Amino acid sequence: MAEKRITVRATRFDPAKDSEPRLQSYDIPFSDDSMVVLDALNYIKSHVDGSLSYRWSCRMGICGSCGMTVNGTPKLTCSAFLRDYWPGSITITPLNNFPIVRDLVVDMEDFMEKLKSIKPWIIRKQEMPLGAGEHRQTMEQIDDFRQFSQCINCMLCYAACPVYGLDDKFLGPAAIALARRYNLDSRDQGTKERLPVIAHSDGVWECSFVGECSVVCPKGVDPAKAIQQTKLDTSVRFILPYGNRE
Amino acid sequence: MSAETETSSRVATRTYKPAMPAGWWLRKGHYFWYMVREFTALPLALWLLWLLYEIQRAGRGPSGYYPPSSTPFVVFSVICLLFALYHSITFLRLAGVILHFKVMDKPVPSGLVVASQFGAWLVASIVIGAVLIGFGR
Ligand code: SF4
Ligand code: FES
Repeated sequence: MAEKRITVRATRFDPAKDSEPRLQSYDIPFSDDSMVVLDALNYIKSHVDGSLSYRWSCRMGICGSCGMTVNGTPKLTCSAFLRDYWPGSITITPLNNFPIVRDLVVDMEDFMEKLKSIKPWIIRKQEMPLGAGEHRQTMEQIDDFRQFSQCINCMLCYAACPVYGLDDKFLGPAAIALARRYNLDSRDQGTKERLPVIAHSDGVWECSFVGECSVVCPKGVDPAKAIQQTKLDTSVRFILPYGNRE
Repeated sequence: MSAETETSSRVATRTYKPAMPAGWWLRKGHYFWYMVREFTALPLALWLLWLLYEIQRAGRGPSGYYPPSSTPFVVFSVICLLFALYHSITFLRLAGVILHFKVMDKPVPSGLVVASQFGAWLVASIVIGAVLIGFGR
């Protein structure tokens, strides 16, 4: 039986030589039904063109580093199976809405700054002495924020968000979902410190609820939900004076 | 870190930032329907302007007033109604995403929240319809 093959087109961009990115086509064996898009890239790198650049690490949907655009949709390439595209071809481009550093690698700086800006750690007005023991939580209290704590920082939601694409000052889906994760945590007392960033006009109010961030999220975080809930909460805090009390 | 490595690690790399194409909203059905939802505000605003004008006309007394009933106006109104329904349905469905509260320590399922919104919409429509028909008689 003839060997199955698949055509993979990948973005190439060398900042030292190219003025803009171009697509390069590779015809590679599709030897095993369990092959994912990342396997195709690894095959190209090992057997065809060692200069192809892209990020990856865990190969199991945990590290969040292998996000790329596959046939127009932001995907974790380690979780996107070739069999879902074959016998059609695959076009792999970098995540939309980010500057391209080289080939399929994008600049994450802006995303990292945004994550930092919402202070994603537990803030206490006064730290308890270590001897006082743990901050205990019930299962119900964990359930309040569990969904929003599943984020792996893969940036697929930013690539899917046209609002971020049109105005990169927007704080963006994952950062707001992470802010909500801490604001809902019964151990945290830092909501007021995060408010200037999340309730800013470049924060939740920039979102017009396209909803595609939640569609592409590989971890079911539902950042669109986090944003709309934050809009409601910040409005209530604004309207009701007692809402501003901790 | 030595001064030399610190400088070299800061060497700026030239990046390429693709511009967002004007037709981005045609890339996916989801984007397209989002644009339709946003657009629905426009015909609704036009229809409401028309309503204000009608109220002003009716304000001059019943003698010279006749309700608009030309075919183009009816067609325009039906189109506006469809947009209004689409807008209202998408808006009310959002309630399931936004409203989150607990009853007896259990979160209320989003389906129930959405159903209650549609129920309230139906009741409000019946009340307003009854009032208008009642006054019209
Ligand atoms: S919210 Fe989802 S899509 Fe966005 S970075 Fe986190 S895991 Fe990725
Ligand atoms: S390689 Fe880690 S998520 Fe894909």
